[in-house]
Amino acid sequence: MNAVEIRNVTKRFGAVTAVDDLSLDVPTGSVYGFIGPNGSGKTTTLRMIMSIFYPDSGSIRVLGQERHEAAMDRVGYLPEERGLYRKMKVRDVLRFYGRLKNGGDVNGDVDRWLERLGLADWADKRVEALSKGMSQKVQFIAAIAHRPELVILDEPFTGLDPVNLDVLQEAVLELRAAGSTVIFSTHDMSTAEAMCDFVFMIFQGRKVLDGTLADVQDRYGTDTIRVRIEGDATRLQGIPGVERLTDRGQLQELRLESGADSQEVLGAIMSRARVTHFELGRPSLHDIFVRIAGPEAEEASDA
Amino acid sequence: MRKALFVAIRDYNAAVRTKGFLIGLLFVPIMFGGVFIVMKLTEGQGDTTDRRIAVVDHTGVVAPALIEAAERRNESELYDEETGKKVKPAYLMHIVPPNDTDMAAQRLELSDKVRAGELFAFLEIGRDVLDPGDDGDAFRIAYYSENPAFDDTRHWLTSPINDRIRSLRLAEADLDKDTVERLTRWMSVEGLGLLSVDEDTGEVRGGEQDNTAAVLLMPYAMMMLMFILIMAAVGTLVTAIMEEKGQRIAEVLLGSVRPTQLMAGKLLGAIGVSLTMVTIYMLAGVFVAGQVEASDLIPYDALPWFAVYGLAALFMFGAIALALGSACTDPKESQSLMMPMWFLIALPMFVWVPVVKEPVGGLATWLSLIPIYTPMIMLIRIASPVTIPAWQPWAGLVGVILFTAISVWTAGRIFRVGILMQGKPPRITEILRWAVRG
Repeated sequence: MNAVEIRNVTKRFGAVTAVDDLSLDVPTGSVYGFIGPNGSGKTTTLRMIMSIFYPDSGSIRVLGQERHEAAMDRVGYLPEERGLYRKMKVRDVLRFYGRLKNGGDVNGDVDRWLERLGLADWADKRVEALSKGMSQKVQFIAAIAHRPELVILDEPFTGLDPVNLDVLQEAVLELRAAGSTVIFSTHDMSTAEAMCDFVFMIFQGRKVLDGTLADVQDRYGTDTIRVRIEGDATRLQGIPGVERLTDRGQLQELRLESGADSQEVLGAIMSRARVTHFELGRPSLHDIFVRIAGPEAEEASDA
Repeated sequence: MRKALFVAIRDYNAAVRTKGFLIGLLFVPIMFGGVFIVMKLTEGQGDTTDRRIAVVDHTGVVAPALIEAAERRNESELYDEETGKKVKPAYLMHIVPPNDTDMAAQRLELSDKVRAGELFAFLEIGRDVLDPGDDGDAFRIAYYSENPAFDDTRHWLTSPINDRIRSLRLAEADLDKDTVERLTRWMSVEGLGLLSVDEDTGEVRGGEQDNTAAVLLMPYAMMMLMFILIMAAVGTLVTAIMEEKGQRIAEVLLGSVRPTQLMAGKLLGAIGVSLTMVTIYMLAGVFVAGQVEASDLIPYDALPWFAVYGLAALFMFGAIALALGSACTDPKESQSLMMPMWFLIALPMFVWVPVVKEPVGGLATWLSLIPIYTPMIMLIRIASPVTIPAWQPWAGLVGVILFTAISVWTAGRIFRVGILMQGKPPRITEILRWAVRG
C-alpha cells in the first residue's frame, strides 16, 4: 500500500517545465526524503501532492484517493513559505489550523505537542513574541496536531539551531513510529542519510535517484577513498587512477576511475605524504548529489 | 462550507477585536459630524468683551438713532435668559465729529486707536446717504476694523442704519411708512411636495412644505452608509490578504482549504465586519433621529433596497479587492493598485449633488445603471423625494447581480494564482491572463 502514487506527472509554468514525466511511489509508514538543488521541482511536486497545483498531465493518488482533495484533511502540510498570524495567540492559531483540518477538537493534541516541544509557557503569548526557532516549532505543530496519516514537510529543518534540530528530528521519527508516512525535502544530505528510509532526487524536473540509501549508493559502487595526511593537500594532485580530488579541509576525498585499483592508489598516496587516516567506502549522499547536480555534471552535460 | 466559516470567523474576530476597528468606527462620525459639533459647542463661546465703536456721521442725523438701537440691544440681548451668562459683547458707540478739512488724517488717527485697542472699530456715514448723488465717496457707509470680513458687528449695523435712513427718506418724500411697506412687500416662491391619496383613509394629503434636510440629508446619509459599508469590507480584505501574503500564511491555509473556500471565507468575514459597522451606525442614526424628533425623515421604503444593493456591493467590491489584493506582494504595491479602485468607488461622492438635484436627469439615470455605481447612485435616487421609473431599481439590481457573479468568478481565478505569488508583482496583462485561463 502506497501513501502517495505519482504517475507520469508533468507540470509546466509557461515555457518552463518544472516537473517532467515523474512517477514515484511513497510506501505507507516510510520516511521519504526529497532532495535536489533549488528550482529543481521539489516544491512543485509537493504542492501537486497537496492539490495546490494541478498537474498538466499524469495522475496523483494520495491515501488511495484519486480526487485527493478528499484526502486533504488526513494530510499535514508544512510549506517552505510558511507563516503564522502574528497578532494571534500561539494556542489560538494552532487550534484554528487544526479546526480547518478536521473541524473537531484538536485542543488536547495542541497542548500535548506544545508541552512536548517545550512551548507550553508560550501558549498564551502572541506569535509575534516568538523567536524564529520557536515559531518554526509552532508551525510544525500546526502541520501535525490533527494526527495526519501523511505528513509533508518542505524544508522543515532549515535555519534551526542544533538543539531545536534534534527536537524536531525526534518528533518526525515519533510520527513515523505512530504510523504516519512522512515526506520531507531537505538540502542537508546528512539529515537525509540519517533519517530517510527512501531518498528521491529530482534534478531539472526529472527523477534522477529513487530508492533506499543503500540502493542509491550501490549504483555508484565502492569508489571513494577518504584520507587524512600530514602536510599540504596539493601533494595528492595527479595520482594515476584518481578521477577527482576534493579537498575537504581536514579530509581529502579521492574518487577512483572505474577499474582503478584502490591499493595502488593508496601506495601512491603513501609515497607522497604521511597518512594518518584511510577509508575506502561508498560515496556519501552529498557526493552523489554533487556528482549529479554540481558544476562537473553541468560541464559533462554541456559537452 | 464549514471550513469557509472557520476562516470567516477568524477574519471577523481579527478585524473586529482590534483598536483599529474602534478607532475606525469613531473616525467616520467624528469626521463628518465634527464640524457641526464644533460649531454647536463654540456657539456663544465667542469674545464677549465690550466693543467701543466710534461713529463719524457726516449727515448728523443717522448716528443718534444708531446709538439708541445699540443701547436697546445692550439691554436685551447680552445675557442668556436661562443661565444669566453673558453671551454677547455690548456695543458702546460714541459720536466723533467729522474733521472735514482732513478726513484722511482723521481716519488714520482712528485706525491707530483701533490698533492700540482703544477702539474696536469705527464707522463713517457718508454725507449723501439720504439722497444719493454722483459723489461715490459721500454716498457710502464704511466700517473700519482689524478683521472686517468676519465681523458680527458690521452685520448687525446694517439693519438699524438702513431702518433709520429709510424712515428719513420716507419722511422727506412725505410718504407713510406702513403704506410703503405694504406696497413693496417681498414675496418668495415656496417649494412644496406633490399631493397624493392616502391608501388607508382615501384622503388627499401632501403639498406640505418641502424639507430641505430630507431632500439632501437622507440621500447623502444613505450614500455615506453605503460607502462606509464598502470601505470597511474592502479595507478588512486587503489588510487580511496582505498579512497572509506578507507573513507567508496563504500556502499554510491552502494546505487545508481550497482557494474557493478560502476566498468565500474571507468574503464572508469582511462582510460580517462591515455589516457590524453599518448596523452600529444605523442604530445610532435611528436613535439620534428619535432624539431630535426627526424619525419621520428616515426613508423606510428605501431600506430594503439599501439591504439588497449593499449585500451585492459587498460581494462585488469584495471580490475585486480580493483579486487585486492577491495579485500584490506588499502593502505599498497594494496601495498603488487599489488607488484606481478607490477612485471608482468614491466617484458618487463627487456627483451626488447633481444627482439629488435631478434624480431623473440623464447623468443620474445612466450612472445609476452602471453596475459598480448602481448601489450608491440608485440608492440616492430612491431616497430622494422624486419618483423614479419603477423599472430602474430592478434593472439596476439585475445588472448588479450579473456583474457581481462575473466579478466573483473572475476574482476566484485570479485569487487562485495570485495568492501564491511572491516577489515581482504581476503586470495587469498577466492578471488578465490568469482571469481568462484560470
